[in-house]
Amino acid sequence: MSDHAHSHGDHDLPFWKKYVFSVDHKVIGVQYALTALVFLFFGFSLMMIMRWQLAYPGRPIPLIGAMLSGTLAADGVLVGDGYNILGAMHGTIMVFLGIVPLAVGGFGNFVLPLQIGAPDMAFPRLNMASYWVFFVGGVIMIGSMFTKTSGAGSGWTMYPPLAVTAAYGETIWLVGMVFLITSSLLGSVNFIVTTIQLRARGLSFFRLPFFVWAQLVTAFLLLLAFPPLEAAAALQLMDRVVGTSFFMPEGLVLSTVHLSHLSGGGNPVLWQHLFWFLAHPEVYVLILPGMGIIAEVIANNTRKPLWGYKSLVYSVIFLGFMSFIVWAHHMFMTGMGTTLSTFFQATTMIISVPSVIILTCLIISLYGAAIRFTVPMLFALAFLPMFAIGGLTGLPLGLTASDIQLHDTYYVIGHFHYVVAPGTIFAMFAGIYYWFPKATGRKMSDWLGKLHFWPSFIFINAVFMPMFFQGMAGVLRRQYDQTEQLAGAASHGLTLMSSWGAWLLALAQIPFIVNFFWSIWKGQRVSDNPWHATTLEWAAPSPPPHGNFPAVPVVYSGPYEYSVPGVSEDFCPQNVALEA
Amino acid sequence: MPPDLHYGRWSPPDFSLHGHNIDQLIDVVHVFMLALFIPWGLFFLYCLLKYRQKPGQSAQYNPVKAKISKYAEIGVAVVEVFLLVGLSMPVWAQYKNDPPAEDERYTVRVIAQQFQWNAHYAGADGVFGKTDASLITELNPIGLMEEQDPHAADDIVTINDIHLPVGRPIYMRLTSLDVIHSFFIPTMRVKQDVIPGMEVPIWFEIDAWALSDDIRGNMTAATPIEKASWYKLRHHIFAEDVVTGDGEVMAAAGDHLGESYKAGTERIAELREAGVKELVMQPRHPLQVVCAQLCGNSHFKMAAQLITHDEAGFAAWQAAQKQAVEFEDF
Repeated sequence: MSDHAHSHGDHDLPFWKKYVFSVDHKVIGVQYALTALVFLFFGFSLMMIMRWQLAYPGRPIPLIGAMLSGTLAADGVLVGDGYNILGAMHGTIMVFLGIVPLAVGGFGNFVLPLQIGAPDMAFPRLNMASYWVFFVGGVIMIGSMFTKTSGAGSGWTMYPPLAVTAAYGETIWLVGMVFLITSSLLGSVNFIVTTIQLRARGLSFFRLPFFVWAQLVTAFLLLLAFPPLEAAAALQLMDRVVGTSFFMPEGLVLSTVHLSHLSGGGNPVLWQHLFWFLAHPEVYVLILPGMGIIAEVIANNTRKPLWGYKSLVYSVIFLGFMSFIVWAHHMFMTGMGTTLSTFFQATTMIISVPSVIILTCLIISLYGAAIRFTVPMLFALAFLPMFAIGGLTGLPLGLTASDIQLHDTYYVIGHFHYVVAPGTIFAMFAGIYYWFPKATGRKMSDWLGKLHFWPSFIFINAVFMPMFFQGMAGVLRRQYDQTEQLAGAASHGLTLMSSWGAWLLALAQIPFIVNFFWSIWKGQRVSDNPWHATTLEWAAPSPPPHGNFPAVPVVYSGPYEYSVPGVSEDFCPQNVALEA
Repeated sequence: MPPDLHYGRWSPPDFSLHGHNIDQLIDVVHVFMLALFIPWGLFFLYCLLKYRQKPGQSAQYNPVKAKISKYAEIGVAVVEVFLLVGLSMPVWAQYKNDPPAEDERYTVRVIAQQFQWNAHYAGADGVFGKTDASLITELNPIGLMEEQDPHAADDIVTINDIHLPVGRPIYMRLTSLDVIHSFFIPTMRVKQDVIPGMEVPIWFEIDAWALSDDIRGNMTAATPIEKASWYKLRHHIFAEDVVTGDGEVMAAAGDHLGESYKAGTERIAELREAGVKELVMQPRHPLQVVCAQLCGNSHFKMAAQLITHDEAGFAAWQAAQKQAVEFEDF
């Protein structure tokens, strides 16, 4: 072991081994984060094009309309197929190429081994494989947009028979998904083993930072939920490529042509069950790491222990478990009878309870605090009401009767975007501002950070708040031209507000991009523990060398020992023994 | 009939018997959401204002004994159980259990395809003619066996017009020829995925007074010309003739603004220049059936109009359809 630790010196590695095909969890984490940020911005850009068509239907897109391919646009005007493709790719990219790799691959890889006092992940080569399989999957997905069909256009949910009868963009999508799922599986095994096996001495499970708990539960979700989708993707690929009928019934007639070559006997609803059996846990994969980051930032910036640490841990475990038995609430409108729908709406109401507990614990943590309004804290604080709105608006969708009216409307779009955009993505920003000094030894600019936060906070609400009212009015999702229907025509003003909100939100990201790159080279140099934090990652040098800790840390206390009475400093790091 | 019916303010008007229960549930849930969010938000703001870090003052290490969180969580759970058991489940059961008796209901088949709604009515004999997928053409979109099956002779098939009687239960048998669609009537609180390979029945009853021609009149609204936008009024027609001061008829009742953004916007400008102060318009088709499930590149256009009749009007419509077919035969 000591020999191994000795060989961790990294100065002798060539560039491509140190920064490209690296087995170091921190390099892999940064690779994941940077790749995911680029994909996130790309996915966001697709949406900005769609928002033009929604705001000004049938009018040429300024600047970039002429650059779009013939499948996407004609004479600078987005076409129906183009809108569907951008929509499907936006969803796919944001979820599978943006947030999951950033939250799990990026933050999980970089922070988790440091927070448990480990020298690296348990399986460094597996870790590298996970990133490169993800990278190939990402290239396939994005690359499909530059082929003749311009990508898949059947929604990110790929419901057959639409997806099976579509052009070959869907085939590429399925192949890309197989890579992305494989990558997540490799990563999840690694996280589970690392967390269980490589914790520093003294770091019992109930001394783990909440972030580690959130990542551990997330890893179990990925491990258990992804295989069914991988299998389902393989089946749909067979339906598309070799003419099987797993999801295709007999007797289909497409544009008056009887598809008599289909053997039939398949059921399109089966795909929905397999898809949502993954995709509902996936929703928690999107949010749990974000909650973990928020908990870290709030504890650090309130300068007090998190209120109800154990409730938080039990809640997150319970959430993970429950997330496997709520999936069919995405399918209430498929013709579900009373018995099945009763079960799924009951589990859906039950799963809201641990979310309420987590939110309550975090907000009560503010009571009696000494709040520092740092940039990460601003994002973390904004997360709380935004996530609350996202969570609460899930209630009328989870109840079958109100879902009759709201299902597939903009209410749904507003609901889940409040969870993942001003929810998870704000948590990601909080995490980037918070751990940037650990990764680089420099701090990001506060002034630019605030210039990033405030406009983002305002405009993101301008984008998503109108959607609840549109949904109430009956505006449906996935509509190339909302004004084609009465409800959409009547609420067209709200659509304009969303669109302008989205474009201004994009401008509000400029300070972040400038800040990010400027701070890498010119940011203020700071100490190893600039936030005066307690968890183990701050005991390592910034940036941590290969192998992380100069000496293996030993843990003496819980994760959030802030403002301990009778101690001169307002924080007691986990690796420092308290006198007494 | 309620006097003022409009789209776009909170939920659209409702013309079904079960719909107001759904609306009530939606309203109650939103009150509950606000009842949680507002006190919670006030506490949040209070903490932000009060507990800003000040020099020489440290945070409280010991956790506050907050029983209130426990009570709040129990309260949330109790309200959710009430929403579930007291409201959602009964409304859903009303919507889903116990189809209306065969002798009371009016049965109609709806066959969805990219991108139209085909409606199939049994006609006077009350028996649906058989269909065969291999007979499907653009003129016979459901493959009705008009020649082979005697029951098919009096059947009626309409495309993107769905005629229904009010005041008695409608029993609708939904299926799809190609991909998954979703049958949604925003003004009736009815939504059901339409899935190829299976037939899913739904049932609902339209309010006895909800005749589509009356509703159109009731949805008449005046838009000040400065606020008029073609996007908002593209599905509307003039409720009455638009006449300028010197007696010139600028637009006749029943006219619309134009088929495109350009034409419509020019028309609005023309009317403004002629001194028209407001546009008094009504929706051409006040009751829409739309598709709620992505079904291809023209998904957004997939809409039918619902035409509701009283019993006499419905019988007259059915008879007229039959006659039209007979005329064609000559």
